[in-house]
Order: sequence, then structure tokens, then C-alpha cells
Amino acid sequence: MIVVAAVAVVLPFAAAFVGMLFGHTASHLLSPLARRLRAPKPGTARRGALVLARRMPANGPALIAVLPVAASTVLTAVLAADQLRSPGTHVGTLTRIPTGTVPIALSLHVDGLASVVAFLVCCVALAVQVYSVAYMRDDPRYSSYAAFVSLFTAAMLLVVLSGDLLVLYAGWEVMGICSYFLIGHYWHDRATSRAAVKAFLVTRLGDVGFLFGIFVLGMAAHSFELRVVLGRLPLMSHTALLAGTLLLLCGVAGKSAQFPLHTWLPDAMAGPTPISALIHAATMVAAGVYVVARLYPAFWFAPTSLAVLGVIAAISMLGAALAALAQDDLKRVLAYSTISQLAYMAAGLAVGTRDGAVFHLLAHGAFKALLFLGAGCVIVTVGSNMMSAMGGLRLAMPVTFWSMTVGFAALAGIPPASGFFSKDTILSQAWQATHRTRSPAFHSYAYTPVRRLGPVHPPRGNGVVDSEGYSFALRHIVHGAPPAIPSWVAWLVLVTGLATAVVTAAYATRTWLVTFFGEKRSDFRPREAAPLMSWPVAVLAVPSLLLGFVGPFSERLRPEWGMAVVSLLCAAAGAGGVYLVWNNDPALDPVRLLGPLRPVLRAAFYVDTAYDVAIVRPVRALARLVVRADARIVDAGVEGSGRGARRLGGLLRATENGNAQAYVSGLFAGMVLIVIAVVVLT
Amino acid sequence: MILVAMLAVPLLGALGMLVPLPGSPRRVTRLARLYGLAVSGLTLVLSVAAAVAFHYGRRGPQLGVNVTWAGSIGLRFHLGVDGISLPLVVLTAALTFLCMVYTARVLPAPAGSRGGSPQSLIGLVLLLEVGMLGTFVALDLLLFFVFFEVVLIPMYFVIADWGGSGGKDAGTRARAAANKFILYTLLGSGFLLVGILIVAVNAGTLDMTALAARHGAGLSHGLQVAAFGLLALGFAVKTPMWPLHTWLPDAHTEAPTVGSVLLAGVLLKMGTYGFVRIAVPMAPDGAKFWAPWLGFLAVIGIVYGALACLAQRDLKRMIAYSSIGHMGFVLLGIATLTPVGLNAALFGNIAHGLITGLLFFIAGAVKERYATGDLDALGGGMLAKAPYLASILTFASVASLGLPGLAGFWGEMLALLGAYQPHAGLPRETFVTFMAAGGIGAVLTAAYFLRMLSKVTHGPVAERWRDTRFADVMPHELLAWTPLITATLFIGLWPKTLLALTDGAVRLLLGGR
Amino acid sequence: MHLVYPVVIAALLFAVGMYGVLARRNAILVLMSVELMLNAVNLNLVVFDMRWADRLHGGQVLTLFVIVLAAAEVGIGLALVLLIYRNRRTVDVDRLRALAEGDPDPDLDVGAMTDDEGTRR
Repeated sequence: MIVVAAVAVVLPFAAAFVGMLFGHTASHLLSPLARRLRAPKPGTARRGALVLARRMPANGPALIAVLPVAASTVLTAVLAADQLRSPGTHVGTLTRIPTGTVPIALSLHVDGLASVVAFLVCCVALAVQVYSVAYMRDDPRYSSYAAFVSLFTAAMLLVVLSGDLLVLYAGWEVMGICSYFLIGHYWHDRATSRAAVKAFLVTRLGDVGFLFGIFVLGMAAHSFELRVVLGRLPLMSHTALLAGTLLLLCGVAGKSAQFPLHTWLPDAMAGPTPISALIHAATMVAAGVYVVARLYPAFWFAPTSLAVLGVIAAISMLGAALAALAQDDLKRVLAYSTISQLAYMAAGLAVGTRDGAVFHLLAHGAFKALLFLGAGCVIVTVGSNMMSAMGGLRLAMPVTFWSMTVGFAALAGIPPASGFFSKDTILSQAWQATHRTRSPAFHSYAYTPVRRLGPVHPPRGNGVVDSEGYSFALRHIVHGAPPAIPSWVAWLVLVTGLATAVVTAAYATRTWLVTFFGEKRSDFRPREAAPLMSWPVAVLAVPSLLLGFVGPFSERLRPEWGMAVVSLLCAAAGAGGVYLVWNNDPALDPVRLLGPLRPVLRAAFYVDTAYDVAIVRPVRALARLVVRADARIVDAGVEGSGRGARRLGGLLRATENGNAQAYVSGLFAGMVLIVIAVVVLT
Repeated sequence: MILVAMLAVPLLGALGMLVPLPGSPRRVTRLARLYGLAVSGLTLVLSVAAAVAFHYGRRGPQLGVNVTWAGSIGLRFHLGVDGISLPLVVLTAALTFLCMVYTARVLPAPAGSRGGSPQSLIGLVLLLEVGMLGTFVALDLLLFFVFFEVVLIPMYFVIADWGGSGGKDAGTRARAAANKFILYTLLGSGFLLVGILIVAVNAGTLDMTALAARHGAGLSHGLQVAAFGLLALGFAVKTPMWPLHTWLPDAHTEAPTVGSVLLAGVLLKMGTYGFVRIAVPMAPDGAKFWAPWLGFLAVIGIVYGALACLAQRDLKRMIAYSSIGHMGFVLLGIATLTPVGLNAALFGNIAHGLITGLLFFIAGAVKERYATGDLDALGGGMLAKAPYLASILTFASVASLGLPGLAGFWGEMLALLGAYQPHAGLPRETFVTFMAAGGIGAVLTAAYFLRMLSKVTHGPVAERWRDTRFADVMPHELLAWTPLITATLFIGLWPKTLLALTDGAVRLLLGGR
Repeated sequence: MHLVYPVVIAALLFAVGMYGVLARRNAILVLMSVELMLNAVNLNLVVFDMRWADRLHGGQVLTLFVIVLAAAEVGIGLALVLLIYRNRRTVDVDRLRALAEGDPDPDLDVGAMTDDEGTRR
């Protein structure tokens, strides 16, 4: 199984490498083959094969991009199926890197959570790659784009399947740089370039905290390996746990675009739409939530960090939903919606349901990717991102319309779409957390220390003996019951969750109505998008619709009907209100009722401006000050020492005035002194 | 013997360039270039042979030679390599060879009416190589000092006679920068010599391995503190450490491409190598005393260098300040006095040598095409005008900002890890603060590199360049840069190559565990 | 006669000569003052030779040496003064300052102390 996982990670990486260097060469090599296949040979091949051969592109980069990801999808499906059949943990170590202190293990760790999320990642990546073949057909830089998408996929798979915290961090950062390259794909526009830089810098700021959190946890556990860290949690001091988890939250907030590090995500919509689907819907932003889920026992032992996460989630949830309501750009609506839904997942983790959060992660991955890819279809047809230019697409783009209807229903939390079930799990857990003083026992599978074998040297290979001499065994453990998060946090999460459900339904309905219904508001030819674009969208509608039904059939994800009814009422209120306003005058945007509030919401409460004034400008001014200080103060010391030496020399040179008589006077004076000295001293 | 051969070949090569070559100036230039290529290639082969002949299991110095040179003062001609110096030796030989490959097509123009012939340039670079290699393989204190000083004179002439960043004042500014470089470094060397003598006279021996094995026994506490302080001053000027760094931006901006590459790629390493090889093992009490200050100045260097880069207008000057930042990380690693810190320092040395060497090559190429290094004058849109060049520049910048998977990450990360848990005798809270500041420095590093990329490679092509045509990456440039790119990728993806090599030697130096 | 008288005269002569060397502006007068100093020394030598009256008469011998050297020196000195007068039209010692350094300029660039021809700027 480890080999399968390793191959699944390496394939996209190799694809990226090959694609970057040999993309165009591959096209040249394949074109004669394609030409031969396309030439009709009378009576030889079957009709279907001819049709297929005619369609096969001499598109080398496309093949290099799609085939390995497809293979990885199959491999991760195998992993997930294997986990379903016999759940357990597999760990494999390639080598250990000596650092001088705690070694780093290049290892992979496969279990249920990892395999399921890996499968999601591969599916979405495959969908995006196929979609991009058509979307980026006319783009001259397609091969580097595809290569970066493959590299990104490899990095995300590394994060998901990694068995060592620092290897996870490596994948984490590589995702960040791929995000920079992909958002900045249209680099000839300076605004896009700025957006890409902003994305990387904001996430990097969080990543520094993330790295420090890894240091804290790793050094406290004397190992960076995931299973050892999780196993040693009971042995760590509370300060270390709290510090480590809080620092990890910095990285989570950055990558998952939560307040206060959320400002990069709306601007990142400047990138191509498939990228927004891949990175900013399903994978990269989910990585933060995934890491918290992965290290959940650590957070469980430090409930203060979960409380902090809950507060952050509450703020992001409602704030982003309100901002989404007021946007005019279709992609920005979806961006703010992503922030809001990620906050739901974070809130789920905060109130104690890891499985609910992961469930929502999977559902969101499917329906958000669907929404973004569908938005791409709409944007290509309309020729503009702005919703004020759309309208009247319902009958002209049926596949897109019905798929996106499913997507919006899932977003709003309307049954039977998946979003309803996953949101309900989170909200019901929040309700339970409000009147619970101690956490329920948290079940998990983990490696726990068994016995100490004595001092040993660094272990070789896969051994279940760590460098401190503990041997590990896989056990089903029931963590004890540390105090739960404070109930006010749970109340906050619950109330904002319900309020957000109202607003979410409102903006989902508004977007749906304004985009597809009414008369078309600008000049374009309404027609369905290309099949390579619309079919992935349709395919994604299937899990968006059906994934939710896992809920009622699973023991831990069963919906609680009371909370379900309440959330449904909230959604109905939001959706209904918007529909009524829209119905009054279908040509106008229902959001106009917000009036003077609209600019504030559209600018997302001016957080971006605040950051610009409070951080960006002072840093730039400080930089200029440093350059001036370097020239005027530090360097002045150096140059000044040179000048000082010359001045001193000048002083001494004053005696050399060329006047021979002065020289003789000096001689004479010296002679007199010597004579006096001789006379006096003898 | 292989080390002696490795030192003798470039030395004889440099002397060979004194012989006047016959023929037209063009023929002389071609002969000189080929000669330089051959000699540096031979040296590279010898250094690789040393790497192959090295026993990777053993921890002490190997492949050495130890004969008396001046018996009356106890000076011996003692050479040897171990895990710490071997990567640096190979890096030096490789960078010099790549510089010769680059020179095979592009010769720096002599500055002003006074200038040098290609012969003298090749000869000076070979002499530089002798000094650089000698510093890394010397195991006797005064021999180390001799080689340490040997590099200064050739570098002075390379900068003064072939340097200049263009404009009518080029020659004057080049000479001024060269003067500043040599006088400042000589000042540091003065302190270094006094420190060396303190240690050697009081311990009674000049042998580095013997002194390191003693771990400061025989030197009183005050003496160790004084010795480390003086040694640190001398090495700090070379490193460079804030606030003794102001020679670096001028020297780098005015130096020709080969000068900058060798200056950044190798000469800066000599300072930190001296810390690891001489200062820390031989005066450990002094090290413990001065370490917090060293860490403090290192962190200031990181943040200061990053902030200065953020406001720079010239490409080469920006890369020069980035060197100050990277060397700050290396110094921070040394200041922690732990095996992980020293491993980080040595890894960071190699990574910085590869990546910044590549960056200076690219900056030189950009300057040749655009005739300016000013970021605003370059205008942007290099990805449209010269896509491969811009891609390689992007790769080098991303490597320099410390992305995992490329060489720069491991040095920075391990330095921060070392600062998180420094040596037992050092104040932990101070070092954790340093770690936090280093993290902020890492974010600022990303900021300035991305700013530079945005200004130079992104955006539409500027008006003034729209009609000019120039070549994208040329074959000789690709030939010179590919080994650096490959090495950066390889070491970044498989850091065990370097870490396994240095770990044993570092533990031996710090007192064996 | 007591020794004191000639010694005092010699000292006075020497002092006058010293004053002349240090304070006179005309080069020829400086040379004459040097002669005065030398003759004062001669007087001293002769007087003390008479006092000690040794077999080799070292004082008087040395006096002859000094006379010859003074003559040679004044010959060359006057020749020099003549040449200086021909070139510079003056023999004022205060104005003959070719050996002096120029004004030291602290802001002068160290690297540009001499230009390409090697002449001092």
C-alpha cells in the first residue's frame, strides 16, 4: 500500500518535471502520429475508433498532464477501497535525514482520512486538468500551466499522505509557490501579478507560525514523525501543546483563508478559473482543515486552541458570507463563499466533530469545484466576470444550469444535496457542545508507546522503534476527558452558524437568479460551453447530490433532525426573502436593498485597506529608511574612519611646510633638549 | 598528495599566464580562455577525485599531508579535508570552472584606460582559486591565514581593473569599491591574526586538529573570551555580519560577473568556515560568552538585509544585500553552538554558494542584454522578451527565498530549529526571540524577491525595449548554469547528501556525541 | 688669558650665526651665518687645543678640516643660490617651498589620489 501511495505522489511530480522541460518537444513528437491516425483509411478501423482518433490531440502537454493524474486517481481509489475494506494505518519510511538533533523521516502515512482526502484531491485535479484542455486551448503557455498544476497536485498529495511533519511542511510550501505561479498565469496584467504576490506573502506569514508550531511539537516529542508525535501527546507538557497548536493555527488561518489572513483569496480570483476551482475550492484551502483534522488529538488536549479556532471561524463565517452577498463579480462571490464554508469546517473542528468537518470538506470540495468550473463555462460564454452582464442563461446552457443549481442547493444547505447533511452534522455538534462541560471521549487509532527498550541508535527503515527507545503498537485508544471548549464559544459558533446559513442561502439564491434567470443584460451569444468543459461540471454534480446520503447511513455522521429543521428554516428564510425581492422586479439586483451598506460589504469591511495602511506602507517606509541609514550612518562610519585617518595625517603633515629654516629650528630645539637631559641626568 | 596537486595546478597555471602568448590579440584571448578552462577543469577533476577517495565513514581529516615548513615557529604545511571542508572544496572548484566556462564567451570589459589583458584576468582568477582552495584545506593556523590573505590581492585587481557598473565614472567607482573591500577586509584580518596568535602562543601549537581536540583546555576563560572576540571580528568582516557589511554592496555592484560569482559564492564562505573550524572549537568558553551577541547581530543582519533589499533599485545591489540576509541565517546557526546549528550553517553555506552564484550569473546576463541593472529601467515583461532567462531567474529567486524542495530551505529551517533549542549554556528565551525575528526575515525575503520578479519579469514589455531584439539564454550560459540548477534541485530534494557528510565532522568538532 | 674669554666669544659668534641661519631671509646671508657658526667652532677648537696641547694637536688639525669643508660647502652653496636666482628670480628662503605638501583635502577620494599619468592632483 505504501508503494501505491508513493507512486501516486511521484507520478504527478514526474509529470510536472517532464511537462516543464519537454512539453513542446512532446507535441512535436506526437503530431505525426496524430496525423496518421486522423487520415481516413477506407474500411479498416471501426467508426468509433476513427472518431476517437480524429479527436486525439497532438497536444503533448495535455497528455503529459492528464494521464499521470488519471493514474494517480486510480491508485488513490485503490488506497481508499483498501481502507474501507480493512481500516488501519500503514507507514513506510524511505530514509532518515540526520540533522544534528531530531532526525527527519522521509515517510508516508496512509490511513482512512488520508486516503479519502487524497482521492478527493486526485478527482478534482483530474477534472480540472481535463477541463483546462478546453479552457486553455488557445493559451500559448499551456504546457507550463499544466506542469504547475501537476506539481501542485503532487505537493497536495504529499501534504495529505505525508508521515512526517517537516515533509508535510515541504509539500505545504510547494503548494504555496504553485499557487503563486498559477494565479500569476496572466502575468502581463500587473494587477494579477500583485494578486499572486499577495497570495504568497499572506500565506507565507502564516507558514512561519506553522513551522514554529511544528518545531514545538516535534522537539517536545523528540521526533517529527506523525505517529510518534500523536503517540507522545500524553507525555508532553501543556505549555508545549498549547504553544504548538496555536502556532499551527497561524498556518491554518493562512492557507485556509480565515480571518485575519483571508485577504488573499478574493484577489486570487485573477487567475484562470480552473485554478480557482482546484486550489481555492477543493484542495489548497482544504489543507489547513486537513492538518487540524490530522493532528486532532493534539488540539483535543489543548482546548484553548480549539476555542481560538472557533472564534476565528465564527468571525470568518459571517463576515465572508455578508461580503459575498454584496459582490458583483461572480468569482468573487464564490471566493468569499469559500472562506465562509471553510469557516464552517473550522467551526466543526472547534466544537468537536472531526468527522463532520471532514465530511463537509469532501462535500464542499465537490460542490465548490462544480460551482467554479460552471462559473468558468458561464464566463467564457458571456465574456465577462460581472453578474451585471449575465442573465437569461437558463434555457441556453442546460447542462451548466442544472449542474450549478445542484451546486447552489448544496451551498445553501437544501436537501437532498450534500451540503445539507454536512452542515447539519456541524451545527448539531455545536448545539451539543453548548451544554456539555467535558468533552466526550475521543476515539482514534494511534500509535502509542508500549515499552522502552533502552538507548538505541537511530533506527533503520520502517522500524516501530523510535530513536528514544520506545516501541510502538497500533491501538484503538480512548483519550481521557480533558475539559471541553468554553460553552460561550460553542454558543458563538452555533448562533453565527445559523445566521450564516441564512445569509448563505440568500447569496446563493441571488447569484443563481441573477446569473441564469431574467433577460440577458449584455451582448453575447448564449450557448452551451464546449463538451470538455461542461461534462466535468456535470460529473461533479453527482457527488454533490449523492455524497450527503453517506450521512444517515453512518454512525458518526447521522443527522439530528431537530437541528436539521432549524437550519432548513434558516435557509428557507434567506432564500425566500431574496426570491421575493427578486420576483418584484426580475431585472434589478435584489442586493440593491442593502443600500449604503453595500460598499462596506463589497470591500469586506475594509480589512484589506486596514492591512495596507497598518502593515504594507510602514514596512515600505521602514525599508527606505534602512537604505538611507545604511548609506548615511553605517557606511558613514566606514568612510568617516578613512577621512579621519587622512585628517590625522594632515595634522601631522602640518610640520612639513617646506621651510628649511623651520626644519633646522626643530633640529636645534631637539638638540638643546638632549643636552639639557644629558646635563641634568648625569 | 591529491590536495597538494589540487593546490599546485592552479598555482602553476597562474604562473604560466605570466608567459607572453604569441599572436594577434584575438588569438591571445582565445588561447588564454582555453588555458583557463583547461586548468580549472583539471582542478575540478582533482577535487572530484578527492571526493571520491574520501572515506565517508571516518570523522577526522583525511587525504592530508603534514610536513615541516618553518620549524623554528612550529609552522607546518598541514593539509587535510573532512566532512566540513569537502563540500566547500568541490563547490569552489566547480564555481571557478563554471566561471571559466562563462568567460569562454564573455570577457569582462576592462574599466577605464588602465585595464588588464585577458591573460592577467585568467591568471588572477587562478591565483584566487589557489587561495580559496587553500583556505578550506589548510589545517595549520598560520597556513590558513596565509591562504586567507592570498585571495585579497587578486580579487582587488579583478574588481578594480575589470569592474564597473557603467557610466562615465565606472573606473573610479570600481577602484573605490575595490579599495574599500581590501582595506576593510585587511582590517578584519589584522584582528584575526592577533586572535590566532593569542590562541597559538598560549596553547603552544599551531595545529588546528590538535587545538580543536583540546576544546579550549589550557586557555583561561578570559583569554578565550578575548581570543574569540578578535577571531570573530576578523571573520565577521568577511561573512559579512552587520554592521561590518558595508563593503559588500559596493564590491558586488562594481565587480564583473566572474568577480561577483566568486565573491558571493566562495569568499563569503571563508568567514563562516573560519567560525566553524577555528573560533568555535578552539575557544568554546569565549563562544558561549559571545554567542548571544553573535545571534543578535545575525538576526539584525537578516531583517536589515531583507528591508534594504525591499527598497533597492539596482538588481546586483539587491542580490548583494540578500547575501547579507542569508549569511545572517548561517551566523544564527553558528551562534546556537549546537550540532543542528552548525549543520545548518554548513548547509546554508553550500546552498548560498550555488544559488547566489547562479543569481549573479543571471544578473550579469541581464546587464549584458539590457545594458542596465536598474529595476525601474528594466521595465518588466522579461517573460515575454526572453522567457527562458526569466524562468531561470524565477527559479533562482524562488530557491533563494527558501522554498522547500530547493537547496535554500534546509539551511534556514535548521538554523531556526537550532535557535529554538540552543546550547544548554545559552539563554533560551533570547534565542527563541531570534528565531521569531528570523521567521519575519524569511517572510520579508519572500517579499523582496517577489517584488523584484514582479518588476522585472511580469507586466507588459516597456516602451523602450519593445523594438530591441536580444538573444534568450545562449548555449555557453546554459552550459554554465545547468550544473548549478541541477545541484540546487538535487540537494534540495535529497538533503541527506550534505547533512550525512557534515553531521559526523560537526559532532567531532563540538565535543563528540 | 683665561679660557673663558675665547669660549664666550665663540659662543656669542655661534649664537649670532644660529640666529642668522634661523631668521634671515636672504639665502646668501644664511650661508654667511653658517660660515659664522663654523668659524665659532674653529675658534673653540683652537682654544682648546692650546689648552690641552696634545701631541697630535687634534684641535688644530680638525680646524684645518673644518676650514676646507666650509670652503667647499660655501662654493656649492653659492652656486646653488646663483641657479635658484636665475630660475626663480628670488633668493628669499621663505618663498622656496617646493618641498611642501599641498593642502590635505579630507574629502579626496582615496581611489583617485593620482590620475592616470601619475601626477598628483
